[in-house]
Amino acid sequence: MRRMIANDAQHESYDKIAQELRRGVLILAALSQLKEPKYGYALISQLSENGLGIDQGTLYPLLRRLESQGLLESKWNVEEARPRRYYVITPTGAAVLQALIKEWHDLATVMNTLLKP
Amino acid sequence: MELIERYLQTIGRALPEKQRADILSELRSSLYDALEERSDGTSDEETAAAIIKEMGPPQKVAASYYPAGQYLIGPSLYPLFQTILQIVGTVVIVVQLVLIGLSVVSSTAISVFDEVGGIVSSLIGALGWIVVTFWILQRLEVQPDPEEAFDPRKLPALEKGFDPVSRTEQIISIVASVAGLAFLSRFAVEGGFTWIDGTGFFENPVIAQYFPWLVASTLIGVALDIVLLWRGRWEVSTRVATILSNGFSLGVLYFLIQGHNAYLNAAGMPGMFEDLSAAIDGLVLRQPMAGMVVFRAGLSIAALVIIVETAAQVYRLVWPRVGGGIAPKLGVMSVQR
Repeated sequence: MRRMIANDAQHESYDKIAQELRRGVLILAALSQLKEPKYGYALISQLSENGLGIDQGTLYPLLRRLESQGLLESKWNVEEARPRRYYVITPTGAAVLQALIKEWHDLATVMNTLLKP
Repeated sequence: MELIERYLQTIGRALPEKQRADILSELRSSLYDALEERSDGTSDEETAAAIIKEMGPPQKVAASYYPAGQYLIGPSLYPLFQTILQIVGTVVIVVQLVLIGLSVVSSTAISVFDEVGGIVSSLIGALGWIVVTFWILQRLEVQPDPEEAFDPRKLPALEKGFDPVSRTEQIISIVASVAGLAFLSRFAVEGGFTWIDGTGFFENPVIAQYFPWLVASTLIGVALDIVLLWRGRWEVSTRVATILSNGFSLGVLYFLIQGHNAYLNAAGMPGMFEDLSAAIDGLVLRQPMAGMVVFRAGLSIAALVIIVETAAQVYRLVWPRVGGGIAPKLGVMSVQR
């Protein structure tokens, strides 16, 4: 994909736009992987393995925000090698997730139509 | 690992106090997890540096924990801020002009630099207070009232064309008026006019009598000039305001000139422009009465200039350079004007 972009300036603005696009799906991605409790870094690894790279600086504030909105809840686990904060989806979060999944599929259908060559 | 701790310490300084410990604990465990995962033989410190670099500058990391963004005055409050600035700015300028007028009339000497400096510092002071107030509102996350749905029918009417004000003209006018005010204030303080070197002394009881009116008409002129500079273009309202202000000035001048006439006639001096050159010689020789004659001539010329200018304003009001105006549409002819 990047080879299609000619010079450095275009590179940079492509990066910004691509980032915007991905930012939109981050919440959906995070919620979808937190049906069981996980800690931040494990979530990052898992998303990354599945092709969605996200850095710590972005994820942690996001998780905190989702928690403050009642979609996640967290608990410190001090039994392991180092204390870790585990997040899990709440019932409210689960309902929102379902709605978002439907929204996602609808959007995908619309976009596929729009992007037909 | 010292590097990681130093990083966390710097981030911590920019975090809200309540959540600081919690956020840092989480970040700490995450960074060490990353370090552990990436240990590949290179020194821990190099790996740590790489991880930290990826995470980003401490300020940026801390900033991402402020959901509303970090604004001095945020986007939702900014339009209100601009409106308040305009209103308060106008009030401050008007109040300052009134105060200048009062101090001139009450025979306090004014220095042009001090007065202008006073206006500027008042404006900056007001700006400071407004910014602080809005900063506080922003911190408290006060939201302005949601906009009522706007009615497209209430939008301002189309401006037909653009009749610009000559900024140079206005600035020259303001400078001249301010100089005039300074001149008048010397008169008020000293009870008469003197040459710059302090010699000679010309009383002018007529000007003394109408002094407040003279100051008022000068101030009104300055205020109008400021408004015109700000608006940048002529409108019906400003043209009318100029005509009225000129009318007021002409009224003041009329009484001044009549007063001079009465004074000079009583003293047996000649009519308007007879022996004007003699009068000017007399002025040079410091003869008091000559001052009155020259003043009368000067005031008359000023009155003539204002009459001509007012006539031009009336003309432009009825037949403006571009569109609008109050002339009835006469078809193609009026549009061409």
